[in-house]
Amino acid sequence: MARDRQTDEDYVGPIRRLLVGVLLLVLAGTFVVWRIDSPRIERFRAAVIDKVVPNMDWALAPVTGIINLVADFQSYQGLAQQNADLRRELQQMKAWKEAALQLEQENAKLRDLNNVRLDPQLTYVTGVVLTDSGSPFRQSVLLNIGARDGIIDGWPVMDGIGLVGRIAGVGQETARVILLTDTSSRVPILVQPSGQHAILAGDNSLDPTIDFLEDPDLVRPGDRVVSVSDGGVFPADLLVGQVVLGADRRLRVRLAADYERLEFLRVLRNQPRETIQDQGGLLTPFSAPAESDGVAEGGNG
Amino acid sequence: MAESPIAQRWFGRFWFIVLACGLIFLQLLPLQTVPQNWAPPDMLLAVAMAWVARRPDLVPIVSIAVVFFLADLLLHRPPALMALIIMGAVEFLRARSESIRSGSFGFEWITVALAIVAVTLANRAILALTASPQAPLSLSMIQMMMTILAYPLAVMVSYLVFGIRRPALGEVDAFGRPV
Repeated sequence: MARDRQTDEDYVGPIRRLLVGVLLLVLAGTFVVWRIDSPRIERFRAAVIDKVVPNMDWALAPVTGIINLVADFQSYQGLAQQNADLRRELQQMKAWKEAALQLEQENAKLRDLNNVRLDPQLTYVTGVVLTDSGSPFRQSVLLNIGARDGIIDGWPVMDGIGLVGRIAGVGQETARVILLTDTSSRVPILVQPSGQHAILAGDNSLDPTIDFLEDPDLVRPGDRVVSVSDGGVFPADLLVGQVVLGADRRLRVRLAADYERLEFLRVLRNQPRETIQDQGGLLTPFSAPAESDGVAEGGNG
Repeated sequence: MAESPIAQRWFGRFWFIVLACGLIFLQLLPLQTVPQNWAPPDMLLAVAMAWVARRPDLVPIVSIAVVFFLADLLLHRPPALMALIIMGAVEFLRARSESIRSGSFGFEWITVALAIVAVTLANRAILALTASPQAPLSLSMIQMMMTILAYPLAVMVSYLVFGIRRPALGEVDAFGRPV
């Protein structure tokens, strides 16, 4: 009996070692390939998430709901106080709403007078947040819409009010949104009254920092921050938030989007712009007839 | 005890996978979309270490590799890196499971803590060597400490729910082999 066991171990040992070796090699290979050719492995990752996460969909929503319910129940005592506060606030808001409506009408009239054409292509698809990133190091969420719904990498994502992030990674039925707070998020922004361009850099805190600001003296806390179409990444004029001065004396942005409750998110269809490629021909009074055909036609039309 | 020993062992392996999938699922719940300045413990790692230190026969290397590779993909970590490092750490613990079993719980905790520290440092070192993007150092350190502190909890849950305990010295399984 003891002899048998000994031989058994003799067979199992090398096979096991071989198995461990093969596993180590495969995993190391995957990591190296990811480092060299990241898009290929990220597509694989998106495909795996696409297969796995929708299966958990039935359980995700109720469990999240129950946990939130318990958390809300704990704060039940503060609710009466909060209700009174909200009523007071609502009263003030009604006054503001009136002002906003009047301004909106005035704005519409002025736009009409100026013959402004708003961008007609900015439509959106709304998705539900399935999961968060699951680790404290990455700030991202997974939406339940994907390539099937026409989502494309790089499209901006908003909640009702402000910019939330950008699509990074699209599966057939899911899409990952890198939030503005993620350390790898960089978005071109415009600080509004002073008109300065800058980059909004996430740093894993709730208020991302403003980088590459040309003249910080012109920017004050409370200034409005909107997106710009620099580099063709985002459509212009999406509300991002307000400038605040962080505890570390750096300029940061308090985001307009409600990061506490990311439930339904809008993905804006960001159609590629027509770009103007040529420099524009030189308009000369006397040009050679052979090359002036096109110019002449354009001029006549 | 009515089941055959082989079935028991496969049940144990099956429960490990189920427990691991449950932990990944809990981590994925969209409860926390606001960045935090602290990090919760990596319960998956703590549970895997507890099972390997106590009942290495229930945690074959293949389940470790599969579970952690899946976790890497789902949790948006660099793929296969944590799986690779944790496989190394688990093999280290497996080789010492005999001496861990004969020592006290304090000794077991220290050995596992060393393995967790090694996993964290190796992860950061490899990411730095390959110039990959990294999490802030403070967050990794907090997570490392929290994982070490959470280890007794992982042991307790494994014992109370799944009956994973340290086999006594000289205890044999149903085949007559030392466990």
